[in-house]
Amino acid sequence: MDWPIRYADIAPWYDYVETFVGISGQAEGLAQLPDGKFLKPMALNCVEQSVREAVGRAWPGERMVTIGRCAVLTEPHNGRAACHYCGPCHRGCITRSYFSSVNATLPAAQATGRLTLRPYSVVHSITYDKRRGRATGVRVIDGQTKHALEFQARIVFLCASTIESARILLNSGNGFANSSGQVGKNLMDHIMGGGASGRMDGPADRDTIGNRPNGIYVPRFRNIGKGKSSFLRGYGFQGGGGRSDWGRGVGETGFGADFKKSLRRPGPWGFSLYGFGEMLPKEENFVEIDKNKVDAWGIPVARISCAYGENEKALVHDMSISAAEMLAEAGAHEIQPYTSDNPPGLVIHEMGTARMGKDPKTSVLNAHNQCHDVPNLFVTDGACMASTACQNPSITYMALTARAAAYAVDAMKRHEL
Amino acid sequence: MNRREVLLLLAGTAALPDQLFAIGRAVHKRVRAGTLRALDPHQNETVATIAELIIPKTDTPGAREAGVPAFIDVMLADWGDEEQRRTFTAGLANVDERSRGLFGKDFIACSPIQQTQILTDLDAELARLRDTKADMSKNFFQGMKWLTLTGYYTSEIGATSELHYRVVRGLADSLRRHRALV
Repeated sequence: MDWPIRYADIAPWYDYVETFVGISGQAEGLAQLPDGKFLKPMALNCVEQSVREAVGRAWPGERMVTIGRCAVLTEPHNGRAACHYCGPCHRGCITRSYFSSVNATLPAAQATGRLTLRPYSVVHSITYDKRRGRATGVRVIDGQTKHALEFQARIVFLCASTIESARILLNSGNGFANSSGQVGKNLMDHIMGGGASGRMDGPADRDTIGNRPNGIYVPRFRNIGKGKSSFLRGYGFQGGGGRSDWGRGVGETGFGADFKKSLRRPGPWGFSLYGFGEMLPKEENFVEIDKNKVDAWGIPVARISCAYGENEKALVHDMSISAAEMLAEAGAHEIQPYTSDNPPGLVIHEMGTARMGKDPKTSVLNAHNQCHDVPNLFVTDGACMASTACQNPSITYMALTARAAAYAVDAMKRHEL
Repeated sequence: MNRREVLLLLAGTAALPDQLFAIGRAVHKRVRAGTLRALDPHQNETVATIAELIIPKTDTPGAREAGVPAFIDVMLADWGDEEQRRTFTAGLANVDERSRGLFGKDFIACSPIQQTQILTDLDAELARLRDTKADMSKNFFQGMKWLTLTGYYTSEIGATSELHYRVVRGLADSLRRHRALV
């Protein structure tokens, strides 16, 4: 089933959100990975640079290695400081370099003076006026008192994340927003785990400085332009190069004073590639409600049925081959290709349970993320995606959200909503 | 381990994944608080002796001084499952069987040269397993090495005096640049 929009519809909104967020990256002029509004790119280290050169020489115009495009600042931006490469990003970024709701969007929302944030609010369902055909707000279970509350709204944006948005819609009452029968269906994730790693000849007297929160990226090259593979669609690689640390000692023979001394110095250089591939939509992958089980707040839980198919497995197999080829071209030694058997969900790019489409019979949302059945309800998180592609999806959700919000405001001004 | 940690591991980039360092630090905190739980005193002394042979005192402290034996006890008690504890203590018992067979004494009663010979044998057997790409996850010495190195290099002594680990590399430089903003 086709998307109801094209890149041209959303391109100005990628620019809009990227300008707010601050994305660092290197413009490369690729159709399958369009350039955005970039701050200075982070630097490739010497081994990564040599791999980029080797891959560019061996596969000109087909495969390439670039620095990752990441939402971490390399220049001061909107009052947030540039990254100083300290490392433990997930413990919180004191310089607000790393884009997050805490660092960027919530302060901006708060500064408008129009934000009300209510924590401990577990959303149960969307409330609905059947006669008017409009959502009227949300039913919430207070996370601490377990009392039920209702909040009224003229417009509802449902962005609870793919599984949860589907669950809330399904828990909202018989067939709510679901004349298509598509709510919960075509659950997808990316597939990951194919790739290769190897040792590289790198300068013995140099090491990386700082902990760069970013790696390299190899944009998709399969089923692009000429050349057809035995599988559909494709994948990209993340990865990077660096020197091993004391951890390598576990895999080495030896113990004692000399062994300890050898672990003081950085180990050999290495490089690795780790693939992320597209998952095809299938109706037999879905979210439904388990009517016999409720969570701690009395809300019926979601039950997930999802498995990768033959095309996804073929992608992973090909990842291990093409990655090993690139490492060989770059002069790597002891190349180890790998494939893995990860379950769907582990890539944490779940999508698809309330897809956008032209036809209300086969989709939940229209081209503006507006529910076909409920015009004042918008879904702009991963649930809205009609297909997954292979790129990290969050910036797309953000662009669609900004676009849908602008559309909703316009519709309100025209008294349509 | 989540995707980002897998990527850091596979990219072979700089230091150990943040998560492993964080776990190491958390375990060391618990070590300061308690007494032996997974190991009895004889097992603990055997562990301490092996650990000190793997990472001995040199111009910097060794495994004992860095608190590795207590770290290993907490790891086994709180992080290991029943099967992992069994494999480990069976491995310790096997070390004593070898020393009694070779030298007529428990491992901790042997001389350093005798102890080194036993560990050399264990290390060589592990190397053969590694070469044949066999499953090493249940090998005692593999587990002992991992626990010793992790316990040592995430300890304050190991990280600071041996590695000169800087949590924020180039910090002085960055602070100078960001003084206006931070």
